[in-house]
Amino acid sequence: MTIQQKTSILILDDEPIVSKRLKPSLDKNGYEVETFVRSVDALSRIRERDFDIIITDLKMEGVNGMEFLTEAKRRSPATEVIVITGFATMETAKQSFSRGVFDFLAKPFKLGEILEVIRKAEIKRKEKAAAA
Amino acid sequence: MVSTSKFLKHLDTDRYLPAPLRRDLPAATGNGNHPVAGRFLVRDRSLTTMKKIISWANRTFYPEQKTAQRVPFTTLFSRFQHILSLNNQSMELIAEANDKLGGHYVFDQQYIRSFCEQLRELVDQLIYNLDGLVPQKYADLYKIFREINDDIAKELSGRLVIAGTDLVMPYAGISREYLNAVGGKNARLAEMKKVLGLRVPEGFAITARAFQSFMEFNELWPQVQKITDDWLQNRLGCEQASAAIMALIREATVPLEVKKAVQVALMQLRQLTGNKPLQLAVRSSAWGEDSEFSFAGQYKSMLNVAEENLFQCYKEVIASAFSPAAMEYRRQNGFGEQEMAMSVACQAMIDAAISGVIHTIAPASPRQTDLLISAAWGLGEPVVAGQISADQYTVSRKKPHKISAVSLVRKEKQLVLRPEGGTAMQQVAGARQNNACLTNEQVNQLATTALEIEQFFRAPMDIEFAVDRQGQLVILQARPLTLPAQTLQQHCDIAAIVSKYPVLMKDQGFIAQKGIGAGKVFVVNSSADLDYFPSGAVLVAKYASPLFARVMNRARGIITDVGSATCHMATIAREFRVPTIVNAGNATRVLTTGQDITIDAEENIIYAGTIDELCFYGLTTERLEETYEYRLLRRILNRIEPLYLVDPTEANFTPEGCRSLHDIIRFVHEKAVEGLINLHYTQQHDPLTLSGKLKWELPLDMILIDIGGGITARAKSGDIAIEQIASIPMAAFVKGLSSPGAWNNEPLSVDMASFMSSLTRTMPTELASPKYVGQNLAVISRQYANISLRLGYHFTIIDAYVADNLNDNYIYFRFAGGVSDLTRRSRRARFLQRILTENDFVVEVHEDLVIARIKKLPAIDIEAKISFLGLLVGFTRQLDVLLLSDQHINQFVSGFEMLLKKNTQP
Repeated sequence: MTIQQKTSILILDDEPIVSKRLKPSLDKNGYEVETFVRSVDALSRIRERDFDIIITDLKMEGVNGMEFLTEAKRRSPATEVIVITGFATMETAKQSFSRGVFDFLAKPFKLGEILEVIRKAEIKRKEKAAAA
Repeated sequence: MVSTSKFLKHLDTDRYLPAPLRRDLPAATGNGNHPVAGRFLVRDRSLTTMKKIISWANRTFYPEQKTAQRVPFTTLFSRFQHILSLNNQSMELIAEANDKLGGHYVFDQQYIRSFCEQLRELVDQLIYNLDGLVPQKYADLYKIFREINDDIAKELSGRLVIAGTDLVMPYAGISREYLNAVGGKNARLAEMKKVLGLRVPEGFAITARAFQSFMEFNELWPQVQKITDDWLQNRLGCEQASAAIMALIREATVPLEVKKAVQVALMQLRQLTGNKPLQLAVRSSAWGEDSEFSFAGQYKSMLNVAEENLFQCYKEVIASAFSPAAMEYRRQNGFGEQEMAMSVACQAMIDAAISGVIHTIAPASPRQTDLLISAAWGLGEPVVAGQISADQYTVSRKKPHKISAVSLVRKEKQLVLRPEGGTAMQQVAGARQNNACLTNEQVNQLATTALEIEQFFRAPMDIEFAVDRQGQLVILQARPLTLPAQTLQQHCDIAAIVSKYPVLMKDQGFIAQKGIGAGKVFVVNSSADLDYFPSGAVLVAKYASPLFARVMNRARGIITDVGSATCHMATIAREFRVPTIVNAGNATRVLTTGQDITIDAEENIIYAGTIDELCFYGLTTERLEETYEYRLLRRILNRIEPLYLVDPTEANFTPEGCRSLHDIIRFVHEKAVEGLINLHYTQQHDPLTLSGKLKWELPLDMILIDIGGGITARAKSGDIAIEQIASIPMAAFVKGLSSPGAWNNEPLSVDMASFMSSLTRTMPTELASPKYVGQNLAVISRQYANISLRLGYHFTIIDAYVADNLNDNYIYFRFAGGVSDLTRRSRRARFLQRILTENDFVVEVHEDLVIARIKKLPAIDIEAKISFLGLLVGFTRQLDVLLLSDQHINQFVSGFEMLLKKNTQP
């Protein structure tokens, strides 16, 4: 295996089960994963460092997902954001995309589905990097 | 959406209307708007005189409503259609929820809540609409529905639900499904004995239901509530509150029903343990004691208890549920005191010569390569409580379990059983104080057993054991080991490690049981090979056979070439929690006996070599099945999915017989079909509905009532030609009935004249509505037909629905009554049973009544089945006369088959 920078992923969901299920799968697929259940903690983390990919829920106590991802994109436009939500409506989807969200996944989703979306986000990042 | 309150309101309205005025339920608008305006309503049962007056007033002022009381048939039919659609939606929703347990999905509590909410709405509407179809007939359904929903709501809020368990359960009858009722300690002991065949104390659980019964019988909850309130509002200290509650429990009486159940269990226990007076260990096995909420060590255990003191000790143990520490813990974690439920373990006391504790992962072992055994003389309680020092053995987790370190201490004291009951600390004889209490063989046996338990529960374990006076190892308790956070969260780069190992197989077949295991391949070619199956090997075989069950407790994994995730072996593998991949295609060719492999039945990859890191990773990652969400969904599905009402002819096929939402869904469906079938004998049809007499060659009168798209155009004369039938099922039926040979089949040598006369015979009046005596009737729409054929005394009903969604499609066929004696009639029933069964119907026969059902076929196949029924009805009409002997059945079966062949060939 070539020495290569791992793709970093931040997961934010107020239900711990989501991170609990995603992390082992992403670990095994060679990603560097950090997980958060409180949006304030995730917010302070993205002020410390940038992530390649952010996976976030929308409806949360305190800072909601939309505010969080808006801040994340403002700080690091290169970060690709994947929204996961159980309250998927056209309106939230539209709003997410207008904020530059890469993709929108309705919960519950299959592990395979989110891995696929992450791979696509990685490709997009590479293409953007090549173009720059 | 129809809300509960609306439903109840509407029930009230109807209940209090005088019988002659009781209106049929309103139109199937589904929005709960009932056309009650313009009517005087009586809402109070006591106002009899008032009712009479209002009855008179209604008759006088609203005379037109006398006829309008009847609900139009189309309305009922659309209600029926609505029921079908709700039925489908519910079944799909349940199936989807079931998928979520398969391991591929990420779902959260929000999903579970919204699933329950959606299903609740659907079932609510189903009941509401059934009530519209057959008013008041199954009003109790709503009560049952509410009970099940209350249980589900309790589950969702994290409260304990103990549905229908016994007060006392012997270990032999306990499986992990009863976890809530018996607590983790009892459940795991029972499972280790049953599945792994390990020695555990014989015993029984006094369940959480017995606890609830105890609290309710003594009316303790209100008092507990009051004391708790005082404490929460700082009027009482925690110690005082605890003491007050414990005193209440000690003074209370164990209910007779609990006592009786315990006495029976004690008698059985005596029989199991050599018919001597019992000495018991009475231990807590509380709900949540060591799962999501760590109450471990909070509760009391009583040792060496004589039978006659059992109930006193039982009260002591349940009183410990209200220790200051436990109450404080519940307060901090937001549990109400009423959510407390203590199950108790009653075990035959083990007279331990040596006792100890095993941690399958030694806390100080940085590489997680070792396990740790502590052991001391006598009973184990002081070892667990840290009151006495114990020898410690650090042992490799790998075979042959080399002892890497021994730390022997001076063991001056031991806890022993007192002959008169209870326990006492005793001086250990001088010479033994410094002796190691375990032999190397015992250490090895403990390590092997502990890892077997770990493998089974698929988590690092904390195990208490004893070696009895006969030198036998007994497992006293096993629970998941809480590892220090840093052990779990160390950033080992699992992907990088794994990438160094060659992949032998990837994504071949299906995962039947998730998990990770490593071991040497052992290819099983015949069941005889199983005798040589080495402990800790990976079983590889061509076919998935349930015979593998006998080695599964020793297998680290199973891979088969052929098999399905639902096959019997897969079910057993799940019970043993052995990582299993089935239908992998060529495992027996790729893998050879003796080869070291690692099976990752999470990602479906087989690696060459042993990847310890991956195994450890698998062990310390919380298993999906162990997560709160998974177990919550599974528990909730247990209230939803099982079907207990299997047979509509059984006595329990009643609203009271419904135990799950599935039962209710099924019941509503069945009764809706039945309701609609019954309705047009009692229901006066809407005069506006299009109807007419079928004009055809066959000598039988058939009235068609079109309730929507069943007839192409209004017939002027009132007659309807065959070509005008637009109803798909009706057209199919007519096609079958008028097939060549159906009415004039030569092989039967039917005397046409006598046959015709039987057709025109009038029906007994009780079988038909007065208006249609002697007529044959079909209520049809584009997709639906409800056909009642009165062939002589033969009374045949066909109810069929054909739509694009195959889940909506069904045929209900009923054949009954006859002119001959019962023997001949039952021959005809047998004939029909054979033919219908051979043609894929599900058939019930009760003397001369034949009911056949078929459903969920594509439209084209359902049509073919309806035509087939047409042919069969024609063929069968005179059979009772001709079936003179049993041999005739075979003859007629082949006769019909020939006819069917002739008519279905293009």
